[in-house]
Amino acid sequence: MRGGTIREESPEFGWTDAFDPTGEYLGTAWGMMDQLLIRGLMTYKHVDAAQGGDTPVPDIASAPPTVSADGLTYDFTLKDNVMWSPPLSRAVTADDFLYAFQRINDKKLVAQYGNYYCGVIKGMDCAAKDDNQPISGIKVTDPTHISFTLDQPTGDLLYRLSMPATKAVPVEVRGCFPNPGDYGVDLISSGPYMILGQDKLNLSSCSTIKPISGYNVDKGMTMVRNPNWSAATDDTRAAYADGVQIKINSNVDDSFNALENGDLDVVQGTPPVAVLQDFETNPDFAGWLHADQGDRTWYVTMNLLAPPFDDIHVRNAVNLALDKAGIRKAYGGDLRGTLATSVEPPTVLPQSTQINPFSANTGSGNATAAMDEMKMSRYDTNHNGVCDDGPVCQNILFLGRSTDPWPNMNQVAVASLKPILPGLDLKEVDTSTGYTTLQQVKKLIPISMVPGWGKDYASPYGFDFFIFDSAGIACTAAVNYSLVGMTEAQATECGVKPEYDAYVQNNGPMPSVDDKMKECVAKPADQVDACFAELDTYLMTVAVPWAPWLWATQFTSTNLKTVVSYQFDQNAGIISYVNTSVNNGLTPQNVA
Amino acid sequence: MPEPLLEVKNLRVHFPTEDGIVKAVDGVSFAIQPGETLGVVGESGSGKSVSFLTVMGLINRKSAIVEGEVIFQGQDLLNVPKEELQAIRGNKIGMIFQDPMTSLHPFYKVGDQIAETILAHEDISKKEAGTRAVDMLRRVGIPRPDERARQYPHEFSGGMRQRAMIAMALSLNPDLLIADEPTTALDVTVQAQILDLIDRLQSEFNTAVALITHDLGVVAEHCDYIQVMYAGRLVEVGTADDIYYQPMMPYTWGLLKSIPLLTAQEERLQPIRGLPPSLIHVPEGCPFNPRCPYVFDRCRVETPQLLPVDGFHAAACHLSLEDRKRIVEQEVLERT
Amino acid sequence: MLRYIIRRLLWVVLVLVVIVAITYSIFFLLPGGGSDAIANRFAGKQPNPEIVAEVKQQFGLDKPIYVQFYIFTRNLFLGDQYGWPGLGKSFVLRAPLKQVLVERMWVTIQLAVGAAVVWLLVGIPIGILSALRPRSIWDRAAMTFALIGISMPVFFIGPLALYVFVYKWHILPGSGYSPIGEDGLWQWFNHFILPWCVLALLYAAFYARLSRANLLDVMGEDYMRTARAKGLNERQVIVKHGLRSSLTPLVTVFGLDLAGLLAGAVITETVFNLPGLGQYAVRSVFSLDLYAILDVTIIAAFFVTLANLVVDIVYAFLDPRVRYT
Repeated sequence: MRGGTIREESPEFGWTDAFDPTGEYLGTAWGMMDQLLIRGLMTYKHVDAAQGGDTPVPDIASAPPTVSADGLTYDFTLKDNVMWSPPLSRAVTADDFLYAFQRINDKKLVAQYGNYYCGVIKGMDCAAKDDNQPISGIKVTDPTHISFTLDQPTGDLLYRLSMPATKAVPVEVRGCFPNPGDYGVDLISSGPYMILGQDKLNLSSCSTIKPISGYNVDKGMTMVRNPNWSAATDDTRAAYADGVQIKINSNVDDSFNALENGDLDVVQGTPPVAVLQDFETNPDFAGWLHADQGDRTWYVTMNLLAPPFDDIHVRNAVNLALDKAGIRKAYGGDLRGTLATSVEPPTVLPQSTQINPFSANTGSGNATAAMDEMKMSRYDTNHNGVCDDGPVCQNILFLGRSTDPWPNMNQVAVASLKPILPGLDLKEVDTSTGYTTLQQVKKLIPISMVPGWGKDYASPYGFDFFIFDSAGIACTAAVNYSLVGMTEAQATECGVKPEYDAYVQNNGPMPSVDDKMKECVAKPADQVDACFAELDTYLMTVAVPWAPWLWATQFTSTNLKTVVSYQFDQNAGIISYVNTSVNNGLTPQNVA
Repeated sequence: MPEPLLEVKNLRVHFPTEDGIVKAVDGVSFAIQPGETLGVVGESGSGKSVSFLTVMGLINRKSAIVEGEVIFQGQDLLNVPKEELQAIRGNKIGMIFQDPMTSLHPFYKVGDQIAETILAHEDISKKEAGTRAVDMLRRVGIPRPDERARQYPHEFSGGMRQRAMIAMALSLNPDLLIADEPTTALDVTVQAQILDLIDRLQSEFNTAVALITHDLGVVAEHCDYIQVMYAGRLVEVGTADDIYYQPMMPYTWGLLKSIPLLTAQEERLQPIRGLPPSLIHVPEGCPFNPRCPYVFDRCRVETPQLLPVDGFHAAACHLSLEDRKRIVEQEVLERT
Repeated sequence: MLRYIIRRLLWVVLVLVVIVAITYSIFFLLPGGGSDAIANRFAGKQPNPEIVAEVKQQFGLDKPIYVQFYIFTRNLFLGDQYGWPGLGKSFVLRAPLKQVLVERMWVTIQLAVGAAVVWLLVGIPIGILSALRPRSIWDRAAMTFALIGISMPVFFIGPLALYVFVYKWHILPGSGYSPIGEDGLWQWFNHFILPWCVLALLYAAFYARLSRANLLDVMGEDYMRTARAKGLNERQVIVKHGLRSSLTPLVTVFGLDLAGLLAGAVITETVFNLPGLGQYAVRSVFSLDLYAILDVTIIAAFFVTLANLVVDIVYAFLDPRVRYT
């Protein structure tokens, strides 16, 4: 059903960094840009996983690229009739794509996932002095042809070429936005919608470009139809609604009240407990709450350099003992997600290729199996299944979140681990402190339930790389909290050499997935998943840095009286604005 | 005998409280003639201030039971409408209070506060009222009165403030000035100045004055008549000479003995022993009996009436006149 | 007096510098803060040293703390590239903070001043009427209201009011801010009336109690007796002598209360979705937006110190016993 306006409220502007595709690092903003505003060589179908929403498909590229036999060259032919929105109103050309990569390569613009391209595409190092430096590996022969030459084969390149930073940016703005994020308030559309007022931009020179009126990251954003968009050029976006308006409302309860009253169509995120109960029990609201796979994993991380977790048997035992179901119950129940059996969520690594090495733990923890495993540990001196080797087993810091409902979840987790690790010492901190503490390698936090992790794109590399590669270990900003794959040089630099040496002495060489990661990513596209399945097995049986407990759900609440068809965008992990339709018949209002 | 300016008849002022009824004034009758000075003496809590606050209508009638009559210039002040009472206050009757520090409003200029009094009763311009206020300040002996009128109370000394209060009270040339402990808060030299000022102004304005004090020494000098109050009742009345030279009531004797004498430096001051009685539980019989050195059986059962001694002089005491005269000569006057 | 005011203004400047220093110290010394934390937050998932260094340089965090402090303080008083006062640029919004803060301050001012008008108009008359009839039915009812008002937190009464007036009875539009310039006076008023009343409730209750207690105290003062003895009528006695001195102490309280609210009424702004300073302060803290945190702290400190100065000056005019030199 065409027409109407999707009305949404969001509690804060935290869903975007600055809305500049080059530097943006928040998934919601990625999804909104990709669906509504900007088009790239590749995109997704903007539907859920069951309908193939996690596979890249051509967007402005007229067909999938021609890949050379050595897997190093990708040739794209572009549709010649995809138009920029007013005031540009010209066709999107290959130069616009080249410019997007020049922006990624510009050191000052801090492209946050530049590593997916730099060191991959020939001539890109993410260290260029401005956004006008040539890239040897990208060739534009004419307005509809662009080719990429790679340093090494990269099986998931098409996923990477669907990321927002690679979407076309009109060359007209070159040099106008030298600071990171600045382009966000002047984002120019090639997609079915544009930010209200974008057509009024004066692009005659850099100095005449003022912020678009329909976007104020503090108040909201209104998007209206891009008159130059043509459905004929676009297979993935139905673009039913005439507009989307997202208003910032700091009062979440108020937003849900408005939703129930028909003043809103969509509210994303987890509803407050009372609303959740209402949705679950009140027949009037049956079907209003959508729980979709959010491609996020919640886990307990264990530090390989912090005894007793240097011993694989202890880490295995934790996996066997952890009461995942109990934690999920304390978190809010079944709706919160599926109990995790390995690191990658099923949409990232297809379920068929996944393993479950700790199947003895059916969800609620298996203390017997855990103690049997613990008996094999050198920290269980009397082999009774309990960690008892002196100080190592005493006062083991377990770092947890202090905000509701996490304290209850921490209690469940710790209680289920106590039979094997009676010395656990739970300490709760706010989430931000938790992350910054974990990020400091030298702190050597032994075990923690603070962090969670989500994909960048729906291929395992886009999930695994930072969190398990040694590249994710920076002394004060590590995201690879378990330190799996840490090199001797890193240990020295971060001041944990003695602990590193102790690990190697007692357990042999540090497990690492660095090489496997390189191997897998170099595979041809059709072999990538299989390779990562091996990597996953290695992670869950040899390295065991985590005890994953939940593949979490993304909640979307819709007013079923006005939302006549709801669609989830698996790649974006949010509602598919372009494939959802409403019948409210409203014209978009400026909420900015 | 001319019509009295103020005649109080059988005045009772009782305050009901949670602990019982406080009989602050319990059947008091007296009169003031125009132009004369009446001294009212007693310890604190004797009812002397309350009786005159009642005259002024400054007792909250909601929290007190007031009985009797207060006839001022032929009108019963206890029963006149509020407006009429307001017209009398400040105009026909002026009042000054014990503590000049707190009795003037701290936020308004002294001259304006006096002018306010005048404006409350006379239909004149503010400017005119201001001029008269300055004039009044001059008459109470404040130097540079025009300058002083523009100052605030905190810029005045205690004595100056009391002068300003007097100026305010007399600004409408009232027929009666009630001075409620006007010198208690002031130091000794200033006390005399203020009392002399009241004396002088009294003859100048021909105002009757009710001088309320706990200090018998003060009233003797400045008053025509004196009445001594104890526990809400009159216990002795008479001329200044009567009270000073022929006191006929042990309580009065006690008051006399507690006057500091400049001549008898070695002799210690003799305060009246004991404490003033609770006004809720006034002792049976003579209210003074628990503190009286000459108490005998009758004092504990029968309340003595105010009986004439001679002429205007009257006292309330069960002791025989002879005994009292003897005691006065032997024990009281000997020290003066 | 002028010298006094100048001296006090210099004092305000000093206080602001100290506040900046303290905020800086807290931010950089407490766990979860510091240049590294900010840089890491904005450097993405792969905060390799190069990106962290780049981010630090862009945000001006690469210099030693004392240099950053000096630059910030200098800009604050002398202005920066975005004008005067130099409030810097938000890490999160990637935009100059001045305009954002001015816009938000304007919302907060409307909220605070409107609420102040409500609570003064409601609280003080209730307090006065109660004091004039102590222990009457009216007094008891009023003080019961005051007790309830004082114990009703905004986060309880706010959502309740929204629910009842907006969603149950549909007499008021929803939450949010509706500028006069855009939707007209009526919409503006409709959007503000609930936040005003809810925010004012606590203060109205408090002011009712305070003005009642003050007036009762003053009624017992000697000068009130003098005023009656002068023959003034009861209205003059109460209004000119009683209220003047019983309400003057409220000036101090009011000044500080208003200043506190101008620094942001966090809960009210959040509940009613008013984009004011308080809401922004909370968000800035959560997003480690250093200059935004510093700015809102400075604005709060500025309002409070300025209010102190204004209160002292006004007080000197109202109470002649107080004079400054």
